[in-house]
Amino acid sequence: MMDPSNINNFEDQWRKALQEASETPPPSVWESIEARLDGEQSKVVPLWWQSPKIWYAAASMAALLVVGGGLWMSDIKTNEKPQVAVSTESVRKSESKGSQMAEQVPSANESLNTEKLAANDQKTSSEAKTLIESKTPSVKSKGYQSIEQQIEIAASNNVNAAVKHENAFTKAKNSSQDQPGIAAVEGAQKPVAKSGSGNEIISTTATPVESVQPVEIATAKVAGNGNAAALADENQSISAQLLASLPYSDLDVYVQNRHIFFRPQIQIEEPVKEKKPKEYYAGLGVMPASFNPDVQLKEAPMAFSAQSVSQKRATTGSSQARASYAVQTQGGVRISKHWSVETGISYLRGNSAYEGGGYVLNAYSNLSSNVLENALAGLASSPSADKAAGFNNGALYIDVAKKVSNNYQYLQLPVQAGFTLNPDKKFSYSVLGGMMANFFLVNELESASGEIIRTTASDDIYRGMNWAATTGLRLNYKLSSNWGANLTGSYQRAVSSGFKSNQSLDSHPYLYGVSWSVRYSF
Amino acid sequence: MTFNEKELVTGCKQRNRIAQKQLYDVFGGKLFAICLRYTKNRADAEDVLQDAFIKIYENIDSFRADSPLEYWLRSVVVNTALNHLRQQKYLKELDDIDVHHNGLSDREFTLGNFQMQQLMEMIRELPPGCQTIFNLYAIEGYQHNEIAQMLGISEGTSKSQYSRARTLLQQKLNKEKRFDDGSVQHKQF
Repeated sequence: MMDPSNINNFEDQWRKALQEASETPPPSVWESIEARLDGEQSKVVPLWWQSPKIWYAAASMAALLVVGGGLWMSDIKTNEKPQVAVSTESVRKSESKGSQMAEQVPSANESLNTEKLAANDQKTSSEAKTLIESKTPSVKSKGYQSIEQQIEIAASNNVNAAVKHENAFTKAKNSSQDQPGIAAVEGAQKPVAKSGSGNEIISTTATPVESVQPVEIATAKVAGNGNAAALADENQSISAQLLASLPYSDLDVYVQNRHIFFRPQIQIEEPVKEKKPKEYYAGLGVMPASFNPDVQLKEAPMAFSAQSVSQKRATTGSSQARASYAVQTQGGVRISKHWSVETGISYLRGNSAYEGGGYVLNAYSNLSSNVLENALAGLASSPSADKAAGFNNGALYIDVAKKVSNNYQYLQLPVQAGFTLNPDKKFSYSVLGGMMANFFLVNELESASGEIIRTTASDDIYRGMNWAATTGLRLNYKLSSNWGANLTGSYQRAVSSGFKSNQSLDSHPYLYGVSWSVRYSF
Repeated sequence: MTFNEKELVTGCKQRNRIAQKQLYDVFGGKLFAICLRYTKNRADAEDVLQDAFIKIYENIDSFRADSPLEYWLRSVVVNTALNHLRQQKYLKELDDIDVHHNGLSDREFTLGNFQMQQLMEMIRELPPGCQTIFNLYAIEGYQHNEIAQMLGISEGTSKSQYSRARTLLQQKLNKEKRFDDGSVQHKQF
């Protein structure tokens, strides 16, 4: 067994050496992370649009908001009405009393200020209390009658104060005038206490209410404050409504605050979303391929059908693939995280060979022609038409297979959809599928002896354009954030014949290729 | 390093791109080194790092400030690396193996003479199972029963794979040492 101390030593050494190890990752990693983060953010938007459940939920929320908002608004209106009534009432009172005791105004205003401060801050409220207490003795020294008087005077001169604090002080006044109103003072204490710390003034004044004397003192304190209850005649139901309205106005402020708080976050996200809407790419590649035109003869050409002895063998020729290549350009767009669409233009040089079962030999010129050569020569208008004629008159059939090279040139226009696995990673794989338009350029049929039958699109033998289906598997390697290298294995097969339908020949070319290309992403 | 970890986390929670980039700049290097230790090539390590950061940004809300941020980040990266290895089927066939101690003396064991890159390379050359278990046990400090649970293997397998890793590493270290001494004439390839 190993010595445990050694084991620890071994692990400790490794841990020490590697735990703090650090190596700077290449910049492409962050770029990919950023691209993925952008992709996820933009992906969120379609989900909102796509899911009907979200819309139902949003509609019901909107409905609730409308109903709730309506109720709330109506509630506000009912709360506002008494306030107006009270203020007009107090104004009327102040008018009737006139400016008889004008000297009380400064002191009243002073205490109003202290109370306002108290409502905002606990500390200031205690200061306010001391102010009130300091005023109390002077009030006490006056008789009961004078206190009453003062209350009235204060009430008449503090219209604004009465409007601001009507809830508390209306009740305070009530209690001073009417002894059974003690209960009313206590009742006033509760709702007022909810509205804020400033109401401590009231609670301190209301607490000793047990006998007539303390009530007097309490009212005297209120009067001394200058916020004397101006509205002696107001009934209690109106006061209760006014109290209920206070919390709503507080809520208003908080809702506004929240809106302001969240706004900057939304502003930060928006430019990020706009950053990368779509990714476009362009590529250039070359594809070594194996091309087979798969030419079939539907019926033997005249020179061969005339050679009745070997008719069967003569018409059984076969195409063989030869090394071919294509030069490709690509342009594509990535439409989602996994899907992309691409198109491009390619030039295909498709080489192949055609081996006929035997050939015919022109008796006059010693020219030889296998079945495909003969068929094509017969179709072409000029200059090989005379060749066919030569074979038709006194040709010999040689029953030896003759191979001719059969080369095509096409211009290809593919449109493909691609599904990519592991997108945004260093290695990713795409499965491709689509259609391809092959535009015929030229065909050259060349025998070993050097005879060339050249057919172009204008000869009306081959279709100017035929369709092919294409599929492939692509391996993408990301070189940097913009550059990438691709290796694509592809298979193409024509879905329509390369020859015009009235010809005796039929061709469905197919191709296997491996394409190497580089790509630049924008 | 001048950064406020708390502010960084708050920024990332608000999906602030600047904060996300700063988090990457601060911890990317260390976390990339972990990725390199768990994978076989740089391309895989980059993929793991990418995935890990995406997870980090997506799950930053679940990070609790009672543990160090780096510890949390490391655990996310290790888990991502293990997931990656599972996908690559590296951890599919982890069997209990017989390990015979080769008798190489490690009494005067020290890694002081080796470069970090060399050590990293040695770990990456281990068989995949050994590599993972060595990383988890020796560097990350997990216990064998925890590793067994994480990888869905038996505790015995974890121990034997670790012993194997240890033996192989010891051999590599001794071999490198001999070359350093110049006592061996020809390096064997």
